[in-house]
Amino acid sequence: MTDNINSTKFEPVLLGRLGRPNSASLASYQADGGYSALRKALTMTQTQIVDLVKDSGLRGRGGAGFPTGLKWSFLPQNISGPIYMCINGDESEPGTFNNRILIEEDPHQVLEGIVIGSYATRATTAYFYLRYEYGRCYRTLQKAVDEMYAAGLLGKNILGSDYSLDIHLHRGACAYICGEETGLIESLEGKRAWPRIKPPFPAVEGAFRRPTVVNNVETMACVTHIVNRGAEWFKSIGVPKDPSNPRDAGSYGPKLYCISGHVNKPGLVELPLGVTARELIDQHAGGVWKGRKAKAVVPGGISMGFMSADELDTPLDFAGPGRVGCLGLGTAAVVVIDDHTSMVDVLYNCCRFFAHESCGQCTPCREGTAWSTKILERMRAGRGKIGDIDLLLEISGSIGTMPGTTICGLADGAAWPIKNAIQKFRPELEEYIRSGRKAEAPQLAGAH
Amino acid sequence: MLQTKEAAVIATAKVNDIEVDIGPRENAIQVARKAGVEIPHYCWHEALSVVASCRMCLIEVGETKPDGTIAMGGKLVPACQTPVKHGMVIKTETAKVVTAQAMTLEFLLLNHPLDCSICDQAGECYLQDYTFKFGKAKSRLNEPKIQRIDKYHIGEQIALFTDRCVMCTRCVRFTREISGTAELQVVARGSVEEIDVFPGMPCNNKLAGNVVDLCPVGALCSKDFLYKKRVWWLKSQKSVCPGCSTGCSIEVDQNDNQVYRLRPRANPLAQGHFMCDEGRFGFRYIQDARRLRTPILKTSSTQSPTAESKMNGQQVVSLNGNGQAHSETAKNGVSDLAVIDPWPTVIAAARDKIRSAIKINPSDFAAVLSPMMSVEEAYLLAAYLKGLDARVRLLLGPIPTFGVDDRYPKSASGSAPPSDKAKFTIRAEKCPNRMGVEMILRHFQGASVPFEQATAGSTDIKAWYFVGGYSQGWVTEKIAKAVSHPTLLIVQDIFPSPLSMHADIVLASAAFTEREGSYVNYAGLAQAFQVATRPIGDARADGRILYELTERRGLFNAAVVRKEISEVIPAFRRFASGDLGLNGVRLIDPKETYS
Amino acid sequence: MSELSEDTKQKIRDHFGRYPTKQAVTLPALHMVQDEKRCVSNKAMEEIAEILELAPSQIHDTLSFYGYFRTEDAPLGETRVWICRSLPCMLRGGEELLAELCGRWGISPGETTADGKITLELAECLGACDGAPCMLVGDELSLRMTADSVEQQVRG
Repeated sequence: MTDNINSTKFEPVLLGRLGRPNSASLASYQADGGYSALRKALTMTQTQIVDLVKDSGLRGRGGAGFPTGLKWSFLPQNISGPIYMCINGDESEPGTFNNRILIEEDPHQVLEGIVIGSYATRATTAYFYLRYEYGRCYRTLQKAVDEMYAAGLLGKNILGSDYSLDIHLHRGACAYICGEETGLIESLEGKRAWPRIKPPFPAVEGAFRRPTVVNNVETMACVTHIVNRGAEWFKSIGVPKDPSNPRDAGSYGPKLYCISGHVNKPGLVELPLGVTARELIDQHAGGVWKGRKAKAVVPGGISMGFMSADELDTPLDFAGPGRVGCLGLGTAAVVVIDDHTSMVDVLYNCCRFFAHESCGQCTPCREGTAWSTKILERMRAGRGKIGDIDLLLEISGSIGTMPGTTICGLADGAAWPIKNAIQKFRPELEEYIRSGRKAEAPQLAGAH
Repeated sequence: MLQTKEAAVIATAKVNDIEVDIGPRENAIQVARKAGVEIPHYCWHEALSVVASCRMCLIEVGETKPDGTIAMGGKLVPACQTPVKHGMVIKTETAKVVTAQAMTLEFLLLNHPLDCSICDQAGECYLQDYTFKFGKAKSRLNEPKIQRIDKYHIGEQIALFTDRCVMCTRCVRFTREISGTAELQVVARGSVEEIDVFPGMPCNNKLAGNVVDLCPVGALCSKDFLYKKRVWWLKSQKSVCPGCSTGCSIEVDQNDNQVYRLRPRANPLAQGHFMCDEGRFGFRYIQDARRLRTPILKTSSTQSPTAESKMNGQQVVSLNGNGQAHSETAKNGVSDLAVIDPWPTVIAAARDKIRSAIKINPSDFAAVLSPMMSVEEAYLLAAYLKGLDARVRLLLGPIPTFGVDDRYPKSASGSAPPSDKAKFTIRAEKCPNRMGVEMILRHFQGASVPFEQATAGSTDIKAWYFVGGYSQGWVTEKIAKAVSHPTLLIVQDIFPSPLSMHADIVLASAAFTEREGSYVNYAGLAQAFQVATRPIGDARADGRILYELTERRGLFNAAVVRKEISEVIPAFRRFASGDLGLNGVRLIDPKETYS
Repeated sequence: MSELSEDTKQKIRDHFGRYPTKQAVTLPALHMVQDEKRCVSNKAMEEIAEILELAPSQIHDTLSFYGYFRTEDAPLGETRVWICRSLPCMLRGGEELLAELCGRWGISPGETTADGKITLELAECLGACDGAPCMLVGDELSLRMTADSVEQQVRG
């Protein structure tokens, strides 16, 4: 599925091998210099690799943007017993498909990063948690892992070193919440994926009550290149730290942007962090479709909320979306909504998604997501009330925008689209309610 | 060391500006309680794992900086998941907290039916109470509520009113963490999730009734209690379950002299938080129609009465009781006694017969003390008889024992944990006070001799004073045979038995809710139980019977007797104040002292 | 009579080495059984529970959480078709596609056609937003679907 890779002047790194014949095979990967990073890493100490990744400024690509090296350094030192590496391949955030393409097209790049990361964290078992829907990824990965075992890149004494690692693929079963790292761990353990309370954090007590690191697929691909090319190379790409903000960790490195929705050419593009939404749409996705204008843009998966048409020059780095009231960069999955689309329909779709995917553990999220969906259903049936808007805003505050209301971030993600839609599109919502009109889109089953 | 101790002692936290001492491993809910501040919560329970999912207990916390200023954290945290450290500042009344509490309640009530009027939980419901204290008066839901199907199949003793559930999962955690039987589960996800059992595998473990107590709302109800009584009519009395030697602390809930339910009362020194269903539902015998309701004095002078004539003789004086006690045979020329209290006559007769039997041959006289007796009752009888003549023999009545100790949590295969890992144990010894009675016996005659042992060969005992009090038949053929031709047979019991049928005197005594006293459990913990109901018919509390029999002055009062015991028997010196508190008092380990 | 074949049971046990607990084999076991049987019957859950040393309710609890598994009251048809309705697909006709298929096949999402051939499911984001509206058949994604192309692919 390489036809959706949009061309760019930036020399792609993560997508650099796409389009090569048999790009997913070990032979082709090694012909392109694959596993040189692993060879190099195995000559380094664990601390050197952790420091290298810290120095690179790499932040997790899964949505939260937590510095990867720092996460690794939280593991307790000098402990006995197993440490686990979990790879979060439960990519389910609406609008996001970069892991799918990475895995299908160049799995060894990811797997090499996993071995390096596991080595750096002293993990001896890595669980690759893959969403069930990615059947082709599963088969590609299984083949790649088999090839690695055969080539001595996995198993006992990798490449003759004294480091040993097993990677097990673990398939999900259609639940968005498994993308939350402790939900993933619970699911891996064979339970309902109810996220855990923290502390203890996974680094201290994670999978099977052992120290665990959970990392995203794209993040691990980045690790491969950082080891190959160095921290300085990685830091030369993207947006540096804001010196006036001591809490800003910068936005370094290349990023896979997913573009979908109302554009002429939906697809995946690799660009330095910090590209604007406008540039993505106009230069990398063929512009808004049917000659229309964008009304709203989701900056990084629907959890992040919406940017309005006049916020499109916002750089899509870790800090940018927050500056225009969005939750963050998320997965950098940009969904473009044209000006012929009703924000009520869009918001309903988002609310319904979160009601369907709320794990049901915390009261505010379980009840609030279902309630907000019901309110929007009623609005779409022409029976909305003006007061519903403030009620929705209040619900969103109580489920997620007020920090601490729930165990995990799903509720924040459920709250932000509501909050942004009301902040940025209130007149449209009010007009919709006053008109008493009904939604044109087909009325299907609700949240469940 | 000393310093650490001191530091531990002075560790304090502030709850809404009230300074309180904190103990180790206390969470903010527990610490706030000490300050008299209630932090509402549903999912948290002291005996279960912390899940922090109901989000009812959200608070704000901060810390006191070295310079005395307070830095608040800025976000809401669940109190149940917040271990309190020295200098912590807990705020439960900030605007954020108040908003979160009201919203969480509104969320929980969205789909909750307004059926308080027919809900068993009304009056002791945390949705009602918290809504009153922390909630909003009105729901803003404009949409239809989710309706769910009630599940009467969830357990033999338990019904699930599904739409009242707040998904706190206490019940599920109980069956996984305490009983280990894991019958309960959550099914589905999100707002349509529910509590359920696996198809065809109801929650019938021996601890199942606890999930009803654990349920903070009216979702899990006891079928036994269902629709029997509004809880605000119930009066509670602190008591101790007599079902086994664990001696669970309980509450007896009664109305109009009828026991409606027993509930466990948390006691860290005794069983913890729970009780077993055997004990919970084992109170019906108290109101059993077959109970002995009136004292019986055999007046027939026949020396060897036939069973029939003895029966008649008995009934001549089984007077004054209510209902069936007024049988036709009462016409036997003494119906004028019918309005007179029979007890003084019966007790006086018992006293005379005991004295004369002992006078004839004290070592032919034996009293069999039941492990169902309280410490006080055993003491009164033992002290009295030994006071009459030290050669009188005191025997320990039968100890009902069934199977082996039943320990929880069970593993998936149903096996029990080792005793040091057990979170709850139903003991094989089905009586509350073997240890207490044995302590009394050992004091008065140096050893506790079981009845079976004393009667193993041929016995020379001719005069008997039996105390029963068992909830079910205890007089086996063997026992009856051992007492085949007594010169005197006095039976103090709650049910008729082959012994009472042949007795010269039957003292209709009382069940545990009708008495006050104390039991010493398997571990040497003495706990007090209070009177919750009046004795049935003309039956009398054993303490009162013994007080009158032994000609003590005044009314029986367990605390007064305990003080006396503490002076007489060193092993009971912790009875000195007469008050055993809510959790009881650990006596010197009796095993160490005596065996 | 055992619901699971000895072969399946052995396959389940073969997973034990991968995880430190037997419970972790719950999802792999459920996948294996459903792929073979089109649902996970109560009997199958009991047998899985026995192998994994769990209570059947724990298997059922986990199973019911995930959108993927079917119990014996709702077994799958021969082909399971998921149509995505999340935002990127909805913007490009996912809802309409789903409605059209419901109409053509005379079923609602979650149901199976009378001939038992097709089970139609609504899906939340399938991760193929670049080809919206997208579809999942079995575990293979197909992009840029129309009602006709779905029918062609599914019905042949």
